[in-house]
Amino acid sequence: MNRKLLAILPLLAFILVCVFLYQGLFANPRELQTGRIGHTMPAFNLPDLMQDNKRWQHTDLQGEVYLLNVWGTWCPTCLAELDYLTKLREQGVKIVGLYYVQSYDADFDGAFDMAALREEVSSMLSRAGDPYQFNILDLERTLALDLGVSGAPETFLVDSKGTILLHHTGDINPRVWRSKFAPIMQELQP
Amino acid sequence: MIPEIGYFSLTLALVLSVLLCIFPLWGAHTGNLRLMRAAPSLAVGQFMFVLISFAALIYASLTDDFTVAYVAYHSSSTLPWYYKITSTWGGHEGAILLWLVMQAGWTAVVAMRSRSLPWILRARVLGVLGFLGVGFMLYTLLMSSPFELLLPYYPVEGRDLNPLLQDPGMIIHPPLLYMGYVGLSVSFSFAIAALLTGKLDNSWAKWSRPWTMTAWGFLTLGLTIGSWWAYSELGWGGWWFWDPVENAALMPWLVATALLHSLSVTEKRGVFKSWTVLLAIAGFSLSLLGTFIVRSGIIVSVHAFATDPDRGLFILAFLAVVVGGALTLYAFRVAQVRSEGRYKLVSREVALWLNNIFLVVATFVVLLGTLLPMVHKEMGLGSISIGEPFFNKMFAIILVPFAILMGIGPLLRWKQNKWGFLQNKMLFCAIVSIAVTSAWLFSSYDVVAPLTLLATTLAVWIVVTTGVDLYVKATIQTSFSQGLKRLDLSYWAMVLGHVGIAFIIAGVTLTSAYSVERDVSMKPGEVVQLNQYQYRFEGVNTIRGANYSGHAGEVSVLKNDKLETILHAEKRRYDIGMQFMTEAAIDAGFTRDLYLALGEQLSNGGWSLRIYHKPFVRWMWIGGMLVSLAGFLILGDKRYRSNKKREQTAAQEAI
Repeated sequence: MNRKLLAILPLLAFILVCVFLYQGLFANPRELQTGRIGHTMPAFNLPDLMQDNKRWQHTDLQGEVYLLNVWGTWCPTCLAELDYLTKLREQGVKIVGLYYVQSYDADFDGAFDMAALREEVSSMLSRAGDPYQFNILDLERTLALDLGVSGAPETFLVDSKGTILLHHTGDINPRVWRSKFAPIMQELQP
Repeated sequence: MIPEIGYFSLTLALVLSVLLCIFPLWGAHTGNLRLMRAAPSLAVGQFMFVLISFAALIYASLTDDFTVAYVAYHSSSTLPWYYKITSTWGGHEGAILLWLVMQAGWTAVVAMRSRSLPWILRARVLGVLGFLGVGFMLYTLLMSSPFELLLPYYPVEGRDLNPLLQDPGMIIHPPLLYMGYVGLSVSFSFAIAALLTGKLDNSWAKWSRPWTMTAWGFLTLGLTIGSWWAYSELGWGGWWFWDPVENAALMPWLVATALLHSLSVTEKRGVFKSWTVLLAIAGFSLSLLGTFIVRSGIIVSVHAFATDPDRGLFILAFLAVVVGGALTLYAFRVAQVRSEGRYKLVSREVALWLNNIFLVVATFVVLLGTLLPMVHKEMGLGSISIGEPFFNKMFAIILVPFAILMGIGPLLRWKQNKWGFLQNKMLFCAIVSIAVTSAWLFSSYDVVAPLTLLATTLAVWIVVTTGVDLYVKATIQTSFSQGLKRLDLSYWAMVLGHVGIAFIIAGVTLTSAYSVERDVSMKPGEVVQLNQYQYRFEGVNTIRGANYSGHAGEVSVLKNDKLETILHAEKRRYDIGMQFMTEAAIDAGFTRDLYLALGEQLSNGGWSLRIYHKPFVRWMWIGGMLVSLAGFLILGDKRYRSNKKREQTAAQEAI
């Protein structure tokens, strides 16, 4: 009896591990424990990505529910989610882009080639769909730092008072939208 | 055209592996020799088609065929040709295809080198390997095909291979690790075949042993080179980071180490049978689990990498079938197994049993450290992270009894020993080790921490006891030099393996205790002193490589005003991804490494530099090489070489 019990023990342990792994697979491991949820958008004053002389401040964004989507042309997952984000825009979701420049270093690179970046951005958006009302350029990555961005793509859901309600890491697809964003959106706009 | 051939060829390989799974297993079940005889040719055929498929991917990469999504995402036209080849395993889909090549390759080698086995066992081993092949091929074809096309809108240029992966260490270490992981599937198949046959005897252990040793040798080599790659390429002088990917490779290694010790007991003494089978199952299961953890995105380690829960689900389902099935079979069959041999407390059996306990505990530590953050989060207790301090502390605690045992074990004989007889030998070894270590450390360093002294003494203890044992074994009947020739290769494998581990322990201890680093800002012509070396900064040049540009800092190293070496540390920026990479300059030496990394240019015109002096760091990799050599040495042992005569008799018996 004892021996049989011993023989079956590894199987039981393995089943336990499997149950945890299975749950882990669907518990969305990409959910970050961000310190920003429930806080207001940090203050910023940053230039527009596509227009000279245009600047955006945090106060400009207040009054409406919007998604702040951190992205870059260098990021393949961002490209993948553009299509779905564009569909969301067509459904009336306001999406603001926070353009994350991956590899610019002011001490090393000298002047930033704005024209090249704009060309790259507009060619990608015209090809894959443009979900953005406008894009904020965060060249020094200060806002990204304040928000606790750890990579791209990441998306923040912000309400009309400027409170961050959600911080999603990874791409937005129909599954993520249904399970994470849609319930909160419904609460906000009954 | 060529990518389609690759995909089609893989489909054919899948068909063959389905047959390889069904025919021999059914044949063995019903005693149909003709079905069993089909297995070897199916195995070889399957390997051929997988190879064609892999060749197709390499061809697509070499010819810059950016219609293939995988090539477009992981290669570029400016990449040197050898990195175009290695880029085929730089990403998920390609890496899995390489895994398949290894899996099919091992299966084919087993098919060809197993003629001395009885047909029933041979067929079952190949059938189980075929089943594993089916799983991996289905995964590749359905979930992660590297032959997906980007038609009609394909890019004119690829995204380039991640610069971190553009390094010779990267060319070889993943294939070596895969060889190891997949090699463990052979031990696994032998265990399952033995369970199915119901005969867990010494001959099973004997057949399984050389395969396990080889797989373990590859795993060791892969880990060693991987660690060397991290050291030379990541630019901050570390060699092991305890991240999930490394842990995924370390766990199978620990279990495989336990397995090959346990196999030797089962082979020679006929005990620990059920335990050995369990280890064989666990070794490969942990390889699979590691793959699941790394590939499913369940633990987020690298960002901007769209992970697909379907992939994770497939691997988990496969894991559940393979491991769950194996353990169920184990639970049913193993209760009938009886140990034959008897042994006393002071015996080699018990020493090896303790060795297994320590290694399994170490595996659990790694497993817990890897999974606990996830479990913790799932139970709603919030995010925690388990990092280096936890692992370092736990391993330090396990190491002390383990290393002491490593010295005693070889001195013991099977069955039983007289304690008094051992006492003198061990006392002698202990005194010599402490004396040698103290003389060594106190003469070279001003400060010797107790823990450093302890760990180094343990390393020396292993070498001394191994030496004493070698002397005793060689001089049993003849003179020392004559006796050395008579020792068999598996004994030498043990000596090499243990001395290698001693090198690793000493290397890790001394480099952790006595590494010195300095962050300095220097202008050309300035000199800094670090230990007995002077570093003179000569200046920075602009450099231009095939697919990158950057700066190279030149530093002359002087010792007692004599030029020792010149270091060139580079900071590169790769053209396509615009990523920065630090190429550290390393002057390697037997007793020390000088390591230099170039930082940024500062506003005052100077440059920031980081200089390391790392004593004995190379011993770690020397040790790793010795250990893996031990794994390959056993292949030469005549007991395990299949000999022609036996093959023929076996064939006749079968008929």
